[in-house]
Amino acid sequence: MNIVFNSVNKSYGIITALKDIDLSIDSGEFVFIVGPSGAGKSTLLKLILNQTRPSSGQLLVDNIDLSQSKKSEVDKIRKKIGVIFQDYQLIADKSIEENIALALDIVAYPKPDISSRIDSVIKRVKLNHRRFLFPSQLSGGELQRAALARALAVEPKVILADEPTGNLDIQNSWNLIKLLKEINEENHTTIIMTTHNLDIVDSLDKRVLYLKNGQIEKKTKS
Amino acid sequence: MNNLNLTWHHIRRSPFQSLTAILVMVLCFFSLTFFLIVSDGFSVVLNYFETKPEVTIFLKDGLDRNTIDSIQKDLSSYKSIKEIKYISKEKALTLYQDQNKDNPLLTEMVTSSILPASFEISVSDPKVLEQIASDFSSKKDTVDEIIYQKDIIDSLLNWTKIIRSVGLIIVSTIGTIGFLIIFIIVGMKITNRKDEIRISRLLGASRFYVIKPFLLEGIFYGVLGSLIGSLVCFILAFYFSQRINIFFQPIIFIRSELNIYLIFLLAEIILGIVIGYLASWVGAKRYIKF
Repeated sequence: MNIVFNSVNKSYGIITALKDIDLSIDSGEFVFIVGPSGAGKSTLLKLILNQTRPSSGQLLVDNIDLSQSKKSEVDKIRKKIGVIFQDYQLIADKSIEENIALALDIVAYPKPDISSRIDSVIKRVKLNHRRFLFPSQLSGGELQRAALARALAVEPKVILADEPTGNLDIQNSWNLIKLLKEINEENHTTIIMTTHNLDIVDSLDKRVLYLKNGQIEKKTKS
Repeated sequence: MNNLNLTWHHIRRSPFQSLTAILVMVLCFFSLTFFLIVSDGFSVVLNYFETKPEVTIFLKDGLDRNTIDSIQKDLSSYKSIKEIKYISKEKALTLYQDQNKDNPLLTEMVTSSILPASFEISVSDPKVLEQIASDFSSKKDTVDEIIYQKDIIDSLLNWTKIIRSVGLIIVSTIGTIGFLIIFIIVGMKITNRKDEIRISRLLGASRFYVIKPFLLEGIFYGVLGSLIGSLVCFILAFYFSQRINIFFQPIIFIRSELNIYLIFLLAEIILGIVIGYLASWVGAKRYIKF
């Protein structure tokens, strides 16, 4: 699933969040987006997820123009994307298992296979012992792993991770990155991750996009 | 968690809101059933009078036998006459005493001299009644008063219209309140679960996917409210039916045919589904903005 930005601009009233973005992300790539707060990193992810639409320009996700897409097309694309939010976005009154089950139900995962799929992803993120607990009963690191488990469960073609290490200690941050790297290499899942943590970026030989004032300042391999 | 489980989960999570919605719907459908039964009863009464056309001609006192025979002969000349029954003063007294046998005070002072003799005429064509009433009302020397079903039917029709109008107003008002309460409760529940809805949408859930549990919840209130409201009213109607039917004798005001009540019940459940579905759909449309 490739993602292409063609001269995309995004403004919120008089504030320009993204300016003239030209970008192409191929299927199976692992891309870091770095930059200071307010640079437009989260807006870039929101555009891919169609939480907001470009003010001008063209944004193609899986060859569908999201700037003009119908709601049903947006729903289809979102089902192919796993998202890890900085603030986890887990449903408070559902257990971790139920949160994952909801994501699987949304993508119409075969009902008889749901339980085994939950087993598999929960083991992968090492949360077996927390399966039936609610988000309020988990630590920050565990919550982030739960969010990752939910994103992984639906076998996404793309994972969007919005500063997933922002609330984690060093050890948990490295564990999460290691897991994302494995998923990228094993399943060729496209991963787009925003972060402030340059140590993590420098440690991996992946494409890095530097955003500043809504513009891509440079593109490098770290 | 399938949709029914999710709906049940929503209902259990806010039991007082759910209880309020159900009680209002019960009240709405209890009122509707009550007016349906009363309206049906009046239709039966109307039908009874419409299909049993009769006129009663009360005679003046002191008429001789020849005059009475002459009146009877005149009456016999009309078409569609089924029966002409002469009720003498003595017979009238016997009937009066029979009707009031449980109340000696009403019978003690009454003698045959104060009760008028009369003719009771039944016909097969109700139009003839009007003709007889018109012809005999001009015979002031022999006829004291004429009573025939047109007055009763007109009066009953009037009452039926009033009861139906009042019923319609009350049921519409309560129905609107029920609709608004479900609308508000669904709105509150959506507001309480807006994070869940927003997250579900971001995970790719369609708008219908997130609305569906709320629609089912509205339908649940409608079905349960209509079922309880109508069944309670039916039970009360059956409980009091004997006393009510004695009052309306020989007319059966509250019918005992189960089919009619099943039709009422089915119609009310369908109406409950429509109200519940529409209210929750409007609520979901109003409050789910993402």
